[in-house]
Amino acid sequence: MTVLILTSEEDVTADMVVLRLAEAGVPVVRLDPADLTDGVALSGEYTLGDRHGHLSVGGRLVDMDGLRSIWVRRPGEAATRAAQPSAWLTEESTQALYGMLRWTDARWMNHPDAARRARNKPWQLHHAQRSGLAVPATLITTFPQRAREFAARYRDLVVKPVSGAHPQEPPRAVPTSRVAPDADFTAVAFGPTLLQQRVLKRADIRLTAVGDTLLAARKPVAPDAHPDDVDVRFAPSMSPWVPVEVPPRVADGVLRYLRGAELAYGAFDFAQDMDGVWWFLECNQSGQFGFVEMDTGQPIAATIARWLAADGVSKDGCANAAPGAGC
Amino acid sequence: MQPFTLNYARPAVQLEVTVPYAYDSGLQLNVLPDGRIAATDHATLRALGTTTSTAGSKTHFDD
Repeated sequence: MTVLILTSEEDVTADMVVLRLAEAGVPVVRLDPADLTDGVALSGEYTLGDRHGHLSVGGRLVDMDGLRSIWVRRPGEAATRAAQPSAWLTEESTQALYGMLRWTDARWMNHPDAARRARNKPWQLHHAQRSGLAVPATLITTFPQRAREFAARYRDLVVKPVSGAHPQEPPRAVPTSRVAPDADFTAVAFGPTLLQQRVLKRADIRLTAVGDTLLAARKPVAPDAHPDDVDVRFAPSMSPWVPVEVPPRVADGVLRYLRGAELAYGAFDFAQDMDGVWWFLECNQSGQFGFVEMDTGQPIAATIARWLAADGVSKDGCANAAPGAGC
Repeated sequence: MQPFTLNYARPAVQLEVTVPYAYDSGLQLNVLPDGRIAATDHATLRALGTTTSTAGSKTHFDD
């Protein structure tokens, strides 16, 4: 049985898992859907009430029924590197590939339907609340007056993109940013705006969940850090990530989150406040993990490889959910 | 008419990084010029930031 990895060639983080699978002698086929029709080929047939399908890449041919798991890591959009790419060809290729892969009994990390929903940040906040995780007071609005009232109530706010995406024309980055006390909220009317009470944080937490294995790392905020440096991705820091125990209540919430979201993998970001509370910020269903593993030595790649290599359905009978999680 | 959130935008840092490794389709891994597997060279990966949680990716914003 083969592990199928859908990702780009330059994805060295995926390499860390491919290495672990190779060490375990687990067959792997790695391909980028962007290479469909030019390097990657597929075929599937529906005959006599049954169906069979194959994929090929780089001289490797794999029977879709021979897949034990599918890791959707960083795939390109289907057929975008074809000789004559087009939006139509991308849609055709996307449906052909992912539609036929849905036949299989393979376990997904993560299933495309679950991944699509899990990328939605406003949904994440609600789902985290339902899962019992602490969520900072948040407002998403196009009403300037609601923004003013929220600012008056919570005083110290941050703003960040609702979707997590950054504008590309021209390319700009929008870090989570502290809102000035005298901010003019008139422009809230021109686009949905996510305002959130700023967590006075002692540390950033990255919790990587693989199935029911939780590996958390902590990066303390420097004592002399500027209060406007709220986004760990942009803040200057010399501190490495270090392993940290997950409080039982947070662990329960994270497992509930994964179960409800039908995710086998999630990279959770928390802010730890001065009282030690872990505030949920977001869960990236395909979040990076290499930088955490390199700092902490936590065996994240090996844990992913073990999950992908495991046989059959999870212990509660769910083919696509995290082991130990319901579906 | 600019949305409020974009008041906090900054130019994206467009680093032209030339990675010193290349994909080997036989191994299904990226390999350095001296034949070593790139993923085992943590110093190189740290220097390039290719495994980090980065903001502003064009194709993947869930880092």
